[in-house]
Amino acid sequence: MRQTRSARILLLAAAAVSSIAVFLPLWWVFVSSMRPGNSFVQYTSPLSWLAFVPFGGDLSNYAGLLNGTFALGLLNSFLVAGLTIVLGLAIAVPAAWALASFEFRGRGVVFAFVILVSMIPFDAIAIPLSSLFQDWGLTDSYPGLVLPALANGFAIFVLRQFFLGIPQELTDAAEVDGLGRVATLWRIVLPLSKPALIGAGMMLFLSQWQAYLWPLLIGTSPERQLAPIALANLSTLFSVDLGQILAGSFVLSVIPMVLLLFFQKQYTASLSTTGLKG
Amino acid sequence: MVTAVAQSLQHLSLSQGSTTFAGVDNYLFLLGDPNFHSVLLVTLVFNLILNPAIVVVSTAFALLLSQRIPWVGLWRSLVFVPAAVPGVVVTLIWSTALQPDGLVNAILTAIGLPPQPFLTSANQALFSIGIMVAWGALGYWMIFIIAGLKDIPESLYEAAMLDGAGWWRRLFSITLPLLKRPMSFVLIACTVGSFLVFAPVQILTKGGPNGSTNLVMYDIYTNVYQIGDLGVGQAEVVVLMIILAVIVAIQFRLLREDKK
Repeated sequence: MRQTRSARILLLAAAAVSSIAVFLPLWWVFVSSMRPGNSFVQYTSPLSWLAFVPFGGDLSNYAGLLNGTFALGLLNSFLVAGLTIVLGLAIAVPAAWALASFEFRGRGVVFAFVILVSMIPFDAIAIPLSSLFQDWGLTDSYPGLVLPALANGFAIFVLRQFFLGIPQELTDAAEVDGLGRVATLWRIVLPLSKPALIGAGMMLFLSQWQAYLWPLLIGTSPERQLAPIALANLSTLFSVDLGQILAGSFVLSVIPMVLLLFFQKQYTASLSTTGLKG
Repeated sequence: MVTAVAQSLQHLSLSQGSTTFAGVDNYLFLLGDPNFHSVLLVTLVFNLILNPAIVVVSTAFALLLSQRIPWVGLWRSLVFVPAAVPGVVVTLIWSTALQPDGLVNAILTAIGLPPQPFLTSANQALFSIGIMVAWGALGYWMIFIIAGLKDIPESLYEAAMLDGAGWWRRLFSITLPLLKRPMSFVLIACTVGSFLVFAPVQILTKGGPNGSTNLVMYDIYTNVYQIGDLGVGQAEVVVLMIILAVIVAIQFRLLREDKK
Protein backbone atom coordinates (compact mmCIF):
# COMPACT_ATOMS: atom_id res chain seq x y z
CA MET A 1 0.00 0.00 0.00
CA ARG A 2 1.26 3.45 -0.81
CA GLN A 3 1.65 5.92 2.00
CA THR A 4 2.06 9.63 1.87
CA ARG A 5 5.13 11.06 3.54
CA SER A 6 3.26 12.67 6.42
CA ALA A 7 1.27 9.51 7.08
CA ARG A 8 4.54 7.59 7.24
CA ILE A 9 6.01 9.93 9.81
CA LEU A 10 2.78 9.92 11.82
CA LEU A 11 2.70 6.11 11.87
CA LEU A 12 6.34 5.91 12.88
CA ALA A 13 5.79 8.40 15.70
CA ALA A 14 2.71 6.53 16.94
CA ALA A 15 4.52 3.21 16.85
CA ALA A 16 7.60 4.56 18.59
CA VAL A 17 5.76 6.44 21.34
CA SER A 18 3.30 3.68 22.18
CA SER A 19 5.80 0.83 22.15
CA ILE A 20 8.34 2.79 24.19
CA ALA A 21 5.58 3.60 26.67
CA VAL A 22 4.87 -0.13 27.05
CA PHE A 23 8.57 -0.89 27.46
CA LEU A 24 9.36 2.03 29.77
CA PRO A 25 8.53 0.38 33.13
CA LEU A 26 10.91 -2.44 32.34
CA TRP A 27 13.68 -0.06 31.37
CA TRP A 28 13.08 1.91 34.54
CA VAL A 29 13.42 -1.33 36.54
CA PHE A 30 16.74 -2.03 34.86
CA VAL A 31 18.07 1.46 35.60
CA SER A 32 16.71 1.52 39.16
CA SER A 33 18.27 -1.85 39.90
CA MET A 34 21.66 -0.13 39.53
CA ARG A 35 20.83 2.30 42.34
CA PRO A 36 21.93 0.99 45.74
CA GLY A 37 19.17 0.21 48.23
CA ASN A 38 16.09 2.38 48.02
CA SER A 39 17.95 5.36 46.58
CA PHE A 40 16.26 5.02 43.16
CA VAL A 41 13.26 6.81 44.65
CA GLN A 42 15.09 10.14 44.70
CA TYR A 43 15.06 10.17 40.88
CA THR A 44 11.29 9.82 40.65
CA SER A 45 10.37 12.49 43.20
CA PRO A 46 10.66 14.75 41.35
CA LEU A 47 11.15 12.93 38.06
CA SER A 48 14.63 13.35 36.65
CA TRP A 49 16.28 12.05 33.51
CA LEU A 50 18.56 10.03 35.77
CA ALA A 51 15.58 7.73 36.45
CA PHE A 52 16.10 6.41 32.92
CA VAL A 53 19.87 6.57 32.52
CA PRO A 54 22.02 4.49 34.86
CA PHE A 55 24.75 7.13 35.32
CA GLY A 56 26.51 6.75 38.64
CA GLY A 57 24.90 3.40 39.34
CA ASP A 58 26.60 0.26 40.61
CA LEU A 59 25.95 -3.45 40.91
CA SER A 60 25.64 -3.58 44.71
CA ASN A 61 22.04 -4.85 44.52
CA TYR A 62 23.10 -7.78 42.38
CA ALA A 63 25.97 -8.53 44.75
CA GLY A 64 23.49 -8.41 47.64
CA LEU A 65 21.21 -10.88 45.90
CA LEU A 66 24.04 -13.39 45.56
CA ASN A 67 24.30 -13.77 49.31
CA GLY A 68 20.59 -14.14 49.97
CA THR A 69 17.87 -16.73 49.52
CA PHE A 70 17.34 -15.52 45.98
CA ALA A 71 20.55 -17.12 44.65
CA LEU A 72 19.49 -20.53 45.93
CA GLY A 73 16.02 -19.93 44.50
CA LEU A 74 17.50 -19.15 41.11
CA LEU A 75 19.52 -22.36 41.20
CA ASN A 76 16.37 -24.30 42.07
CA SER A 77 14.46 -22.57 39.29
CA PHE A 78 17.09 -23.56 36.75
CA LEU A 79 17.13 -27.13 38.00
CA VAL A 80 13.35 -27.46 37.94
CA ALA A 81 12.98 -25.76 34.56
CA GLY A 82 15.76 -27.88 33.06
CA LEU A 83 14.22 -31.09 34.34
CA THR A 84 10.84 -29.97 33.02
CA ILE A 85 12.22 -29.40 29.53
CA VAL A 86 14.09 -32.71 29.33
CA LEU A 87 11.45 -34.94 30.90
CA GLY A 88 8.58 -33.00 29.33
CA LEU A 89 10.00 -33.52 25.84
CA ALA A 90 10.70 -37.17 26.67
CA ILE A 91 6.95 -37.53 27.25
CA ALA A 92 5.62 -35.21 24.58
CA VAL A 93 7.72 -36.53 21.68
CA PRO A 94 6.59 -40.19 21.83
CA ALA A 95 3.02 -39.14 22.56
CA ALA A 96 2.95 -36.76 19.61
CA TRP A 97 4.63 -39.34 17.36
CA ALA A 98 2.06 -41.93 18.30
CA LEU A 99 -0.77 -39.51 17.64
CA ALA A 100 0.71 -38.50 14.32
CA SER A 101 1.88 -41.76 12.81
CA PHE A 102 0.05 -44.73 14.36
CA GLU A 103 -3.40 -45.64 13.17
CA PHE A 104 -5.27 -46.94 16.15
CA ARG A 105 -8.90 -46.96 17.17
CA GLY A 106 -9.95 -43.97 19.18
CA ARG A 107 -6.99 -41.87 18.08
CA GLY A 108 -9.22 -38.90 17.41
CA VAL A 109 -10.83 -39.26 20.82
CA VAL A 110 -7.46 -39.48 22.58
CA PHE A 111 -6.20 -36.46 20.72
CA ALA A 112 -9.32 -34.41 21.44
CA PHE A 113 -8.99 -35.46 25.05
CA VAL A 114 -5.37 -34.29 25.24
CA ILE A 115 -6.37 -30.92 23.82
CA LEU A 116 -9.42 -30.59 26.05
CA VAL A 117 -7.47 -31.44 29.20
CA SER A 118 -4.66 -29.10 28.28
CA MET A 119 -7.17 -26.30 27.93
CA ILE A 120 -8.13 -26.65 31.57
CA PRO A 121 -5.74 -24.16 33.06
CA PHE A 122 -3.45 -25.78 35.57
CA ASP A 123 -3.79 -23.07 38.21
CA ALA A 124 -7.51 -23.76 38.50
CA ILE A 125 -6.88 -27.26 39.84
CA ALA A 126 -3.63 -26.44 41.62
CA ILE A 127 -5.18 -26.07 45.05
CA PRO A 128 -7.10 -29.38 45.14
CA LEU A 129 -4.15 -31.09 43.45
CA SER A 130 -1.79 -29.79 46.11
CA SER A 131 -3.76 -31.51 48.87
CA LEU A 132 -3.54 -34.72 46.82
CA PHE A 133 0.23 -34.27 46.57
CA GLN A 134 0.27 -33.81 50.32
CA ASP A 135 -1.35 -37.23 50.76
CA TRP A 136 1.27 -38.72 48.47
CA GLY A 137 4.09 -37.14 50.43
CA LEU A 138 5.28 -35.17 47.42
CA THR A 139 5.15 -31.73 48.99
CA ASP A 140 8.46 -29.99 49.45
CA SER A 141 10.25 -32.16 46.92
CA TYR A 142 11.65 -31.68 43.44
CA PRO A 143 9.40 -34.37 41.92
CA GLY A 144 6.43 -32.49 43.36
CA LEU A 145 7.57 -29.30 41.66
CA VAL A 146 8.35 -30.88 38.29
CA LEU A 147 5.64 -33.52 37.88
CA PRO A 148 2.56 -31.43 37.07
CA ALA A 149 4.38 -29.39 34.43
CA LEU A 150 5.40 -32.47 32.46
CA ALA A 151 2.04 -33.19 30.88
CA ASN A 152 1.90 -30.23 28.54
CA GLY A 153 -0.87 -30.76 26.00
CA PHE A 154 0.22 -27.78 23.95
CA ALA A 155 3.71 -29.19 23.55
CA ILE A 156 2.19 -32.48 22.33
CA PHE A 157 -0.07 -30.55 19.98
CA VAL A 158 2.75 -28.48 18.48
CA LEU A 159 4.93 -31.55 17.94
CA ARG A 160 2.11 -33.58 16.44
CA GLN A 161 1.23 -30.86 13.96
CA PHE A 162 4.87 -30.66 12.94
CA PHE A 163 5.23 -34.45 12.61
CA LEU A 164 2.13 -34.51 10.41
CA GLY A 165 3.87 -32.12 8.05
CA ILE A 166 6.84 -34.44 7.51
CA PRO A 167 6.49 -36.16 4.13
CA GLN A 168 5.18 -39.70 4.39
CA GLU A 169 7.70 -40.85 1.74
CA LEU A 170 10.59 -40.19 4.10
CA THR A 171 9.25 -42.36 6.90
CA ASP A 172 8.08 -45.02 4.43
CA ALA A 173 11.53 -45.15 2.88
CA ALA A 174 13.05 -45.51 6.32
CA GLU A 175 10.80 -48.47 7.04
CA VAL A 176 11.62 -50.10 3.71
CA ASP A 177 15.27 -49.80 4.70
CA GLY A 178 14.45 -51.74 7.83
CA LEU A 179 14.29 -49.03 10.45
CA GLY A 180 11.77 -49.66 13.21
CA ARG A 181 9.23 -47.09 14.30
CA VAL A 182 11.38 -45.89 17.17
CA ALA A 183 14.53 -45.69 15.07
CA THR A 184 12.61 -43.78 12.40
CA LEU A 185 11.50 -41.29 15.02
CA TRP A 186 15.01 -40.97 16.46
CA ARG A 187 17.10 -40.94 13.28
CA ILE A 188 14.80 -39.41 10.67
CA VAL A 189 12.02 -37.40 12.26
CA LEU A 190 13.69 -35.73 15.23
CA PRO A 191 16.64 -34.25 13.30
CA LEU A 192 14.07 -32.63 11.01
CA SER A 193 11.97 -31.36 13.89
CA LYS A 194 14.34 -28.91 15.54
CA PRO A 195 12.01 -25.90 15.22
CA ALA A 196 9.10 -27.77 16.79
CA LEU A 197 11.33 -29.20 19.51
CA ILE A 198 12.59 -25.72 20.35
CA GLY A 199 9.05 -24.33 20.32
CA ALA A 200 7.74 -27.09 22.57
CA GLY A 201 10.79 -26.78 24.81
CA MET A 202 10.16 -23.05 25.17
CA MET A 203 6.56 -23.74 26.13
CA LEU A 204 7.65 -26.18 28.79
CA PHE A 205 10.31 -23.79 30.04
CA LEU A 206 7.99 -20.78 30.20
CA SER A 207 5.21 -22.72 31.91
CA GLN A 208 7.66 -23.59 34.67
CA TRP A 209 9.54 -20.29 34.79
CA GLN A 210 6.36 -18.24 35.12
CA ALA A 211 4.70 -20.48 37.68
CA TYR A 212 3.95 -19.01 41.05
CA LEU A 213 0.94 -20.64 42.70
CA TRP A 214 2.15 -24.24 42.44
CA PRO A 215 5.71 -23.62 43.71
CA LEU A 216 4.17 -21.54 46.49
CA LEU A 217 2.03 -24.49 47.57
CA ILE A 218 4.62 -27.24 47.02
CA GLY A 219 8.13 -25.83 47.46
CA THR A 220 7.63 -24.87 51.06
CA SER A 221 11.01 -25.12 52.77
CA PRO A 222 13.67 -22.49 52.03
CA GLU A 223 15.94 -25.12 50.44
CA ARG A 224 13.37 -25.84 47.75
CA GLN A 225 11.98 -22.38 47.12
CA LEU A 226 11.97 -21.26 43.52
CA ALA A 227 13.26 -17.82 42.63
CA PRO A 228 9.86 -16.10 42.20
CA ILE A 229 8.80 -17.22 45.67
CA ALA A 230 12.09 -16.10 47.19
CA LEU A 231 11.71 -12.73 45.48
CA ALA A 232 8.10 -12.29 46.62
CA ASN A 233 9.18 -13.15 50.16
CA LEU A 234 11.80 -10.41 50.02
CA SER A 235 8.99 -7.95 49.43
CA THR A 236 7.19 -8.93 52.62
CA LEU A 237 10.20 -8.59 54.92
CA PHE A 238 10.05 -6.01 57.69
CA SER A 239 12.56 -3.72 56.00
CA VAL A 240 12.14 -4.00 52.27
CA ASP A 241 15.18 -3.45 50.06
CA LEU A 242 13.41 -2.44 46.86
CA GLY A 243 16.69 -2.06 44.97
CA GLN A 244 17.38 -5.75 45.47
CA ILE A 245 13.85 -6.67 44.50
CA LEU A 246 14.17 -4.72 41.26
CA ALA A 247 17.53 -6.37 40.58
CA GLY A 248 15.96 -9.80 41.14
CA SER A 249 13.02 -8.83 38.93
CA PHE A 250 15.41 -7.92 36.19
CA VAL A 251 17.31 -11.20 36.48
CA LEU A 252 14.08 -13.23 36.35
CA SER A 253 12.83 -11.29 33.31
CA VAL A 254 16.00 -11.13 31.31
CA ILE A 255 16.46 -14.90 31.12
CA PRO A 256 13.22 -15.69 29.25
CA MET A 257 13.73 -12.52 27.21
CA VAL A 258 17.11 -13.61 25.93
CA LEU A 259 15.76 -17.07 25.14
CA LEU A 260 12.80 -15.58 23.29
CA LEU A 261 15.12 -13.31 21.37
CA PHE A 262 17.11 -16.32 20.17
CA PHE A 263 14.16 -18.60 19.52
CA GLN A 264 11.52 -16.03 18.62
CA LYS A 265 10.81 -17.60 15.24
CA GLN A 266 10.27 -21.13 16.50
CA TYR A 267 8.27 -19.94 19.51
CA THR A 268 5.88 -17.69 17.63
CA ALA A 269 5.47 -20.37 14.98
CA SER A 270 4.47 -22.80 17.71
CA LEU A 271 2.12 -20.25 19.22
CA SER A 272 0.28 -19.77 15.99
CA THR A 273 0.01 -23.54 15.59
CA THR A 274 -1.72 -23.90 18.94
CA GLY A 275 -3.87 -20.85 18.53
CA LEU A 276 -5.23 -20.38 15.12
CA LYS A 277 -4.22 -22.88 12.53
CA GLY A 278 -5.67 -26.10 13.91
CA MET B 1 0.68 -44.15 27.35
CA VAL B 2 2.45 -41.74 29.62
CA THR B 3 0.13 -38.86 28.85
CA ALA B 4 -2.77 -40.98 29.98
CA VAL B 5 -1.11 -41.23 33.37
CA ALA B 6 -0.77 -37.51 33.50
CA GLN B 7 -4.36 -37.04 32.43
CA SER B 8 -5.59 -39.45 35.03
CA LEU B 9 -3.63 -37.35 37.48
CA GLN B 10 -5.66 -34.36 36.59
CA HIS B 11 -8.85 -36.31 36.72
CA LEU B 12 -8.02 -37.77 40.08
CA SER B 13 -7.76 -34.28 41.38
CA LEU B 14 -11.17 -33.47 39.97
CA SER B 15 -12.78 -36.46 41.57
CA GLN B 16 -10.96 -35.54 44.75
CA GLY B 17 -12.69 -32.20 44.46
CA SER B 18 -16.05 -33.82 44.14
CA THR B 19 -15.69 -36.57 46.75
CA THR B 20 -14.81 -34.23 49.55
CA PHE B 21 -17.90 -32.11 49.42
CA ALA B 22 -20.02 -34.51 51.44
CA GLY B 23 -23.48 -33.32 50.60
CA VAL B 24 -24.46 -29.90 49.44
CA ASP B 25 -23.86 -28.12 52.74
CA ASN B 26 -20.72 -26.42 51.48
CA TYR B 27 -22.50 -25.19 48.39
CA LEU B 28 -25.45 -23.94 50.41
CA PHE B 29 -23.05 -22.14 52.71
CA LEU B 30 -21.22 -20.69 49.75
CA LEU B 31 -24.36 -19.55 47.98
CA GLY B 32 -25.68 -17.84 51.09
CA ASP B 33 -22.37 -16.28 52.04
CA PRO B 34 -22.28 -12.52 51.43
CA ASN B 35 -18.49 -12.72 51.26
CA PHE B 36 -18.72 -15.13 48.33
CA HIS B 37 -21.25 -12.87 46.62
CA SER B 38 -18.83 -9.99 46.83
CA VAL B 39 -15.99 -12.23 45.56
CA LEU B 40 -18.09 -13.23 42.55
CA LEU B 41 -19.07 -9.64 41.90
CA VAL B 42 -15.49 -8.38 42.10
CA THR B 43 -14.27 -11.20 39.81
CA LEU B 44 -17.02 -10.56 37.28
CA VAL B 45 -16.51 -6.80 37.17
CA PHE B 46 -12.75 -7.36 36.84
CA ASN B 47 -13.25 -9.73 33.91
CA LEU B 48 -15.97 -7.81 32.13
CA ILE B 49 -13.85 -4.68 31.96
CA LEU B 50 -10.32 -6.04 31.71
CA ASN B 51 -10.68 -8.66 28.96
CA PRO B 52 -12.43 -6.54 26.32
CA ALA B 53 -9.92 -3.79 27.11
CA ILE B 54 -7.00 -6.15 26.51
CA VAL B 55 -8.51 -7.34 23.23
CA VAL B 56 -9.09 -3.79 22.01
CA VAL B 57 -5.65 -2.54 22.97
CA SER B 58 -3.77 -5.56 21.62
CA THR B 59 -5.74 -5.35 18.36
CA ALA B 60 -4.87 -1.67 18.13
CA PHE B 61 -1.20 -2.49 18.62
CA ALA B 62 -1.41 -5.29 16.07
CA LEU B 63 -3.01 -2.98 13.50
CA LEU B 64 -0.43 -0.29 14.10
CA LEU B 65 2.57 -2.60 14.11
CA SER B 66 1.57 -4.49 10.99
CA GLN B 67 1.83 -1.33 8.91
CA ARG B 68 4.94 -0.60 6.92
CA ILE B 69 6.95 1.34 9.45
CA PRO B 70 10.72 1.65 9.78
CA TRP B 71 12.15 -0.70 12.46
CA VAL B 72 8.79 -2.37 12.94
CA GLY B 73 10.51 -5.45 14.36
CA LEU B 74 12.00 -3.35 17.13
CA TRP B 75 8.65 -1.79 18.07
CA ARG B 76 6.98 -5.20 18.09
CA SER B 77 9.69 -6.60 20.32
CA LEU B 78 9.35 -3.71 22.76
CA VAL B 79 5.62 -4.43 23.10
CA PHE B 80 6.13 -8.18 23.29
CA VAL B 81 8.91 -8.19 25.87
CA PRO B 82 6.66 -7.65 28.94
CA ALA B 83 4.88 -10.89 28.02
CA ALA B 84 8.11 -12.72 28.82
CA VAL B 85 8.19 -11.29 32.34
CA PRO B 86 6.95 -13.79 34.94
CA GLY B 87 3.69 -12.83 36.67
CA VAL B 88 5.30 -12.35 40.06
CA VAL B 89 7.84 -10.00 38.59
CA VAL B 90 5.10 -8.03 36.83
CA THR B 91 3.47 -7.68 40.23
CA LEU B 92 6.63 -6.54 41.97
CA ILE B 93 7.59 -4.12 39.20
CA TRP B 94 4.20 -2.44 39.20
CA SER B 95 3.86 -2.33 42.95
CA THR B 96 7.13 -0.37 42.96
CA ALA B 97 6.06 1.83 40.06
CA LEU B 98 2.65 2.52 41.66
CA GLN B 99 4.07 3.50 45.04
CA PRO B 100 3.22 7.01 46.29
CA ASP B 101 6.72 8.13 45.23
CA GLY B 102 7.02 5.68 42.32
CA LEU B 103 7.38 6.07 38.59
CA VAL B 104 3.72 6.50 37.67
CA ASN B 105 3.06 9.26 40.15
CA ALA B 106 6.29 10.94 39.12
CA ILE B 107 5.08 11.02 35.52
CA LEU B 108 1.62 12.20 36.58
CA THR B 109 3.18 15.04 38.59
CA ALA B 110 5.53 15.92 35.74
CA ILE B 111 2.60 16.45 33.38
CA GLY B 112 0.67 18.39 36.00
CA LEU B 113 -1.78 15.80 37.34
CA PRO B 114 -2.33 15.06 41.04
CA PRO B 115 -0.66 11.88 42.39
CA GLN B 116 -2.98 8.92 42.96
CA PRO B 117 -3.12 6.39 45.83
CA PHE B 118 -3.49 3.36 43.47
CA LEU B 119 -3.11 0.12 45.45
CA THR B 120 -4.01 1.58 48.84
CA SER B 121 -7.38 2.92 47.73
CA ALA B 122 -10.48 0.74 47.58
CA ASN B 123 -11.51 2.57 44.41
CA GLN B 124 -8.27 2.16 42.51
CA ALA B 125 -6.70 -1.09 43.73
CA LEU B 126 -8.59 -3.38 41.37
CA PHE B 127 -7.91 -1.01 38.50
CA SER B 128 -4.20 -1.08 39.37
CA ILE B 129 -4.18 -4.88 39.30
CA GLY B 130 -5.94 -4.72 35.94
CA ILE B 131 -3.13 -2.50 34.61
CA MET B 132 -0.53 -5.05 35.73
CA VAL B 133 -2.33 -7.96 34.14
CA ALA B 134 -2.97 -6.07 30.91
CA TRP B 135 0.65 -4.96 30.65
CA GLY B 136 1.88 -8.52 31.05
CA ALA B 137 -0.60 -9.89 28.49
CA LEU B 138 -0.75 -7.30 25.69
CA GLY B 139 2.27 -8.33 23.66
CA TYR B 140 1.40 -12.00 23.80
CA TRP B 141 -2.08 -11.50 22.39
CA MET B 142 -0.83 -8.97 19.88
CA ILE B 143 1.20 -11.78 18.26
CA PHE B 144 -1.99 -13.79 17.75
CA ILE B 145 -3.83 -10.86 16.18
CA ILE B 146 -0.89 -10.10 13.90
CA ALA B 147 -0.93 -13.72 12.77
CA GLY B 148 -4.66 -13.29 12.05
CA LEU B 149 -3.97 -10.12 10.08
CA LYS B 150 -1.44 -11.94 7.92
CA ASP B 151 -4.14 -14.43 6.92
CA ILE B 152 -6.27 -11.72 5.33
CA PRO B 153 -5.62 -11.80 1.59
CA GLU B 154 -4.01 -8.64 0.26
CA SER B 155 -6.23 -8.81 -2.83
CA LEU B 156 -9.28 -7.84 -0.75
CA TYR B 157 -7.64 -4.56 0.17
CA GLU B 158 -6.57 -3.92 -3.40
CA ALA B 159 -10.10 -4.48 -4.64
CA ALA B 160 -11.49 -2.19 -1.94
CA MET B 161 -8.98 0.52 -2.81
CA LEU B 162 -9.98 0.30 -6.46
CA ASP B 163 -13.55 0.84 -5.33
CA GLY B 164 -12.37 3.92 -3.50
CA ALA B 165 -12.79 2.68 0.07
CA GLY B 166 -10.87 4.79 2.58
CA TRP B 167 -8.81 3.55 5.52
CA TRP B 168 -11.69 3.50 8.02
CA ARG B 169 -14.00 1.84 5.55
CA ARG B 170 -11.42 -0.90 4.90
CA LEU B 171 -10.92 -1.33 8.66
CA PHE B 172 -14.60 -1.82 9.41
CA SER B 173 -15.61 -3.70 6.26
CA ILE B 174 -12.62 -6.00 5.78
CA THR B 175 -10.13 -6.12 8.64
CA LEU B 176 -12.37 -6.30 11.69
CA PRO B 177 -14.91 -8.79 10.27
CA LEU B 178 -12.09 -11.10 9.19
CA LEU B 179 -10.37 -10.71 12.55
CA LYS B 180 -13.46 -11.92 14.38
CA ARG B 181 -12.12 -15.41 14.94
CA PRO B 182 -8.66 -14.54 16.26
CA MET B 183 -10.19 -11.80 18.36
CA SER B 184 -12.76 -14.07 19.95
CA PHE B 185 -10.06 -16.66 20.55
CA VAL B 186 -7.98 -14.04 22.34
CA LEU B 187 -10.97 -12.84 24.33
CA ILE B 188 -11.74 -16.32 25.61
CA ALA B 189 -8.15 -17.33 26.32
CA CYS B 190 -7.64 -14.02 28.03
CA THR B 191 -10.76 -14.52 30.15
CA VAL B 192 -9.51 -17.88 31.37
CA GLY B 193 -6.26 -16.22 32.38
CA SER B 194 -7.95 -13.34 34.14
CA PHE B 195 -10.18 -15.63 36.19
CA LEU B 196 -7.00 -17.14 37.60
CA VAL B 197 -5.23 -13.94 38.60
CA PHE B 198 -3.66 -14.68 41.94
CA ALA B 199 -0.13 -13.40 42.50
CA PRO B 200 -0.87 -9.65 42.60
CA VAL B 201 -3.67 -10.16 45.12
CA GLN B 202 -1.67 -12.50 47.33
CA ILE B 203 1.52 -10.43 47.28
CA LEU B 204 0.15 -6.88 47.29
CA THR B 205 -3.38 -6.40 48.54
CA LYS B 206 -4.45 -9.59 50.31
CA GLY B 207 -7.89 -8.98 48.86
CA GLY B 208 -8.17 -5.52 50.37
CA PRO B 209 -8.69 -2.64 50.82
CA ASN B 210 -12.18 -3.57 52.00
CA GLY B 211 -12.46 -6.73 49.90
CA SER B 212 -12.23 -4.65 46.73
CA THR B 213 -9.60 -6.93 45.15
CA ASN B 214 -10.72 -10.26 46.60
CA LEU B 215 -10.68 -12.23 43.34
CA VAL B 216 -11.93 -15.82 43.36
CA MET B 217 -8.53 -17.55 43.21
CA TYR B 218 -7.30 -15.68 46.25
CA ASP B 219 -10.53 -16.40 48.11
CA ILE B 220 -10.08 -20.13 47.43
CA TYR B 221 -6.51 -19.88 48.67
CA THR B 222 -7.58 -18.14 51.90
CA ASN B 223 -10.38 -20.62 52.49
CA VAL B 224 -8.08 -23.62 52.08
CA TYR B 225 -4.77 -22.41 53.44
CA GLN B 226 -5.60 -19.55 55.80
CA ILE B 227 -8.97 -20.49 57.27
CA GLY B 228 -8.40 -24.20 56.72
CA ASP B 229 -11.95 -24.80 55.54
CA LEU B 230 -11.11 -27.36 52.88
CA GLY B 231 -14.73 -28.24 52.09
CA VAL B 232 -15.84 -24.72 51.27
CA GLY B 233 -12.63 -24.12 49.35
CA GLN B 234 -13.18 -27.25 47.28
CA ALA B 235 -16.78 -26.26 46.59
CA GLU B 236 -15.49 -22.92 45.41
CA VAL B 237 -12.98 -24.69 43.15
CA VAL B 238 -15.83 -26.68 41.64
CA VAL B 239 -17.82 -23.50 41.00
CA LEU B 240 -14.76 -21.96 39.35
CA MET B 241 -14.22 -25.14 37.33
CA ILE B 242 -17.79 -25.03 36.05
CA ILE B 243 -17.39 -21.42 34.94
CA LEU B 244 -14.07 -22.23 33.27
CA ALA B 245 -15.44 -25.41 31.68
CA VAL B 246 -18.11 -23.35 29.95
CA ILE B 247 -15.46 -20.93 28.70
CA VAL B 248 -13.15 -23.76 27.59
CA ALA B 249 -16.02 -25.50 25.81
CA ILE B 250 -16.67 -22.36 23.79
CA GLN B 251 -12.96 -22.13 23.00
CA PHE B 252 -12.86 -25.77 21.91
CA ARG B 253 -15.80 -25.27 19.59
CA LEU B 254 -14.14 -22.24 18.07
CA LEU B 255 -11.00 -24.25 17.33
CA ARG B 256 -13.02 -27.13 15.88
CA GLU B 257 -14.81 -24.75 13.52
CA ASP B 258 -11.42 -23.43 12.60
CA LYS B 259 -10.31 -26.80 11.31
CA LYS B 260 -13.21 -27.23 8.94
